[in-house]
Amino acid sequence: MESQLEQIRAEALAEIDAAADEAALEAARVKYLGRSGSVSLASEGMKTLSKEEKPRIGKLLNEVRQSVTGALDSRKAALEAQRDTAAFADIDVTLPGTPVRIGALHPITQLQDRAIQIFRRMGFVLADGPDIETEFHCFDALNTPADHPARNEQDTFYLADGRLLRTHTSTIQIRTMESQPPPVRIIGPGAAYRRDEVDATHLAQFNQMEGLYVDEQVTVADLKGTCEFFFRELLGKDARVRFRPHFFPFTEPSFEIDIKAGALGGGEKWLELAGCGMVDPAVFESVNKRRGDDAYDPERISGFAFGFGLDRLAMIMSGVTDIRLFTENDVRFLSQFR
Amino acid sequence: MKISLNWLKELIELPATVAELTELLTLAGVEVEGIETRGVNIDKIVVAQILESVQHPNADRLSVCKVDDGTGSPKQIVCGAKNYKVGDKVLLAHAGAVLPGDFKIKIGKLRGVESQGMMCSSKELGLGEGADGLLILPQEARVGAPLNELFPGDTILDLEITPNRADLLSYRGIAREVAALTRKQAAPAQSSAVKEVVTSNIQIAATEKCPFYTARKISGVKVGPSPDWLRNKLEASGIRSINNIVDITNFVMLEIGQPLHAFDADKLRGGIRVRVANDGEEFLALDGRTYKLGTDDLLIADEQRAIAIAGVMGGEETGVTETTTNILLESAYFQPASIRRTARKLGLISDSSYRFERGVDPAGVLAASQRATGLISELASGEAAPQIESAGAAPDFTRAVTLRKGRCSQVLGTDVPGEFIRETLTRFGLTTSGDHVWRVPSFRQDLTREIDLIEEVTRVFGIENIPAREMSRYFAESQTDREHDRRMQIRRTLIAQGFYEARTLSLIEDTPDYALPASIRVRNPLTSDQVMLRPTLVRGVLDVLAHNARAGAKSQRIFEIGRCFLAGEYEETSKLALVMTGPLTEKSWRSGDERNADLFDMKGVLGSLGLGELVYEPMENPRVAVMASVSLNGRRIGAIGVLLPARARELDVTTPVIIAEIELPAVKATAKKFAGISKFPAVTRDIAMLAPKEVRHAQVIETLQSVNEPLLASAELFDIFADETGEKVPRGQKSLAYSLTYRSRERTLTADEVNAAHARLKERLKAVLSVTFRE
Repeated sequence: MESQLEQIRAEALAEIDAAADEAALEAARVKYLGRSGSVSLASEGMKTLSKEEKPRIGKLLNEVRQSVTGALDSRKAALEAQRDTAAFADIDVTLPGTPVRIGALHPITQLQDRAIQIFRRMGFVLADGPDIETEFHCFDALNTPADHPARNEQDTFYLADGRLLRTHTSTIQIRTMESQPPPVRIIGPGAAYRRDEVDATHLAQFNQMEGLYVDEQVTVADLKGTCEFFFRELLGKDARVRFRPHFFPFTEPSFEIDIKAGALGGGEKWLELAGCGMVDPAVFESVNKRRGDDAYDPERISGFAFGFGLDRLAMIMSGVTDIRLFTENDVRFLSQFR
Repeated sequence: MKISLNWLKELIELPATVAELTELLTLAGVEVEGIETRGVNIDKIVVAQILESVQHPNADRLSVCKVDDGTGSPKQIVCGAKNYKVGDKVLLAHAGAVLPGDFKIKIGKLRGVESQGMMCSSKELGLGEGADGLLILPQEARVGAPLNELFPGDTILDLEITPNRADLLSYRGIAREVAALTRKQAAPAQSSAVKEVVTSNIQIAATEKCPFYTARKISGVKVGPSPDWLRNKLEASGIRSINNIVDITNFVMLEIGQPLHAFDADKLRGGIRVRVANDGEEFLALDGRTYKLGTDDLLIADEQRAIAIAGVMGGEETGVTETTTNILLESAYFQPASIRRTARKLGLISDSSYRFERGVDPAGVLAASQRATGLISELASGEAAPQIESAGAAPDFTRAVTLRKGRCSQVLGTDVPGEFIRETLTRFGLTTSGDHVWRVPSFRQDLTREIDLIEEVTRVFGIENIPAREMSRYFAESQTDREHDRRMQIRRTLIAQGFYEARTLSLIEDTPDYALPASIRVRNPLTSDQVMLRPTLVRGVLDVLAHNARAGAKSQRIFEIGRCFLAGEYEETSKLALVMTGPLTEKSWRSGDERNADLFDMKGVLGSLGLGELVYEPMENPRVAVMASVSLNGRRIGAIGVLLPARARELDVTTPVIIAEIELPAVKATAKKFAGISKFPAVTRDIAMLAPKEVRHAQVIETLQSVNEPLLASAELFDIFADETGEKVPRGQKSLAYSLTYRSRERTLTADEVNAAHARLKERLKAVLSVTFRE
């Protein structure tokens, strides 16, 4: 009996070890441990044994059963591991990824939003105004002389009712001050329109961003700090910002802002990118008149305003040489701004 | 304005280099828009005379010349040009000269004959194209004279003068500015004492438009070409030389800033009348064109007819010509607005109107007349009348402006010493008796308020000397902020689904396809395709779709968020338009879903935007194959549809074009509320049914909801098909399959209660929609 068990064990272990796949292993399990398997049959044979033999043979039988079970388990694990490895063996990791469709924000939207994020960190909130404006909001309130050429039909789009398409976003300054008392700290992005012939650098409709801060004791030092910070944030720490005295009807003193920066096509020369200045007292006076109070008393409050064009800035920053690409919306253009 | 530095140098000492001057002017608000270098400054080029010329022994096209270069030893030069003769004076480049283009001249042999230099053409010297061949000089040229003696170098600055600085539209004005900025003294004006001024035969009928008019008779003038110095000065400043009289008037205008006009006195009929034009009065101007004038336009006339459009342009008939011997020299002050209106209306901007419309210094009227008279006597032998005739009076634009102590520092945000302010304003020609009241000279009409004086101080103080202040304030988020954030969120959601953002123009073509009764049009469009303010974004995105289709794009997803315009209460509204066409996925080795986008894909996109529950109802439109209105909270906000294939083909698109446009509803700031997660398992039961073809999905859902079954958590459609052959599904019917989910928040549901609820729902479907169940 003992030798018989030892033989079963030897045969079983050899067979399990030789099983090439899970089917062969299952066959071996049935052959030895199945209901009529040889280990099961041997265990039936226990009945015929003497009392003296039973404990010894029984122990041996258990050992045989355990070692066969153990061999089956480890062989199974080995076969599974083999299969798992094989499953991943031939994967070409250089195959392209499954395409996921991703579009892109328009480059002007991207620049506009970036500018908004910077100004928001500086405590500015967004303000708005209509594209269709009155001559009052576009010119009169902004201290533009009655016979100023900008009001000309040659330069400005008019509607039949005498209103016009705003020629700059500075109208947002007036709209905001009309509707709320100081302090005001706003930026107003939006479209502006001029009757320009369309070419590589001109569109009859373009995108501007306006800024205004009115409060007690706002000074040129604040204007300078704000504009310098903004352009350095936008264009990088190497950006150099220069304020050049200029003339605008609605600010005094007025400046144009010139910038040199690596982000602007190398930074070789000063590029004129924005206009700014201290809000002209005449602008406050016309706002007061409209409001019917003296909330914007120029003796008590002061403010600065600035404005810049997004299209030209985006062109220079991205190396776009034809402004019409921004309105053509060719996907081969847009996809480069992903 | 073009400024010759050679001329300016005569009036004021300039900084050492052009770069320094440019920087100085630019940072003081006078932008230098261009710098042009004229003439040549090349060493080792001199005037030489050709002594002899013989044929080159080895080359047909070359000659060998002997030239006298003034050194006493004639040079031998091999030359290819043919346009000279012996005795001509030319320019000789000696060995060592470097011509434009880095062309170095050396002694060398040409076809075996030594050449000790090169005789130059004007092109080789950078003096312009000129004629082919050598530049032949006038016989007066002195042999041995260096090149820059003949072509003196000059630098021309193109200055952008802002409209408030009329005082800078002259050399004297610029000199005054440079003097103030560099603390130098400008040369005194060359002007003898003004002669006696008498009132006379001049009548002003429009004193508001012309407060002051003067005229001086100068007789016996000899009209002829101007001397070189005068011609050079004008030409350097961008003004063409005409004759000595006209040139002198222009010279004085450039020098002092006061435009002048000279009439041929013999062609005038009676005294000067300054009046407005009659309605429709026609006038032949010096430019040879006839202008039609109105009662708002100021004219200079004699007793019979107009002789000039005041301040803009003189008349053809009374202009100075070669035969003129007696002239009447006009110097006047015209109201800027009047000149501006007339010049703009006529589209006639002259050097004269440009200055008058910005405002000339009335104090310069007599001085300019005097200066021109002196020059005419000197250069054209004119005999001036002893008196200047005049009418009206020069307006006095000098005024007092107070600059309060400390106000400048307050505006600038840094301390500006009182001494600095005093010195600066004094240098700009203002005077004070020390009590903060400043007397402004008449040439600075832009300085009328305290802030104007502060600006002057700021320009000189330099913003670079003001410390930047960085500070903020707290402000509440605005409605515009919320709208911007929502728009950006929608944009990003769409980008993540493969949509490209387009930004199209607000002005579109006026076509019946897009025009609505309330459409808004511009009165003065520039082009026919930009006439109407868009009432919809659809036109724009379809144009973009067509553009990209023509460029070869097969599968497209485009959107735009922008303003639309319609007359009415909400004139400007923010809309979102989307368009998609072609396969859902790009062709790839994963062989994805190659199905073309359809209406339901677009509904899925709209549903992903988080706007709320959108309700779709069928509607009709002749240009759209299938269309549905889109509503939110009971309000119609837009529409969705599939273009008729014929319309799509017009856009060069052959796949179905799905388009949607909705208004962006107002943003409501609502905090999201957590509804809890049920601890008890859900049970799903499917319903498969045959329904009449007309039964719509929405009706099935409404019918299920009408039961108000508390255990029903959701009902999802998971299969739908119809079979036209009638084999799988009877004709006129369709098969619908829904998965119904039951769930309770309080307990685990028993099979019995789910079965009961499910039966109630099926019963209602059967009763309301006449469906039969396929089980």
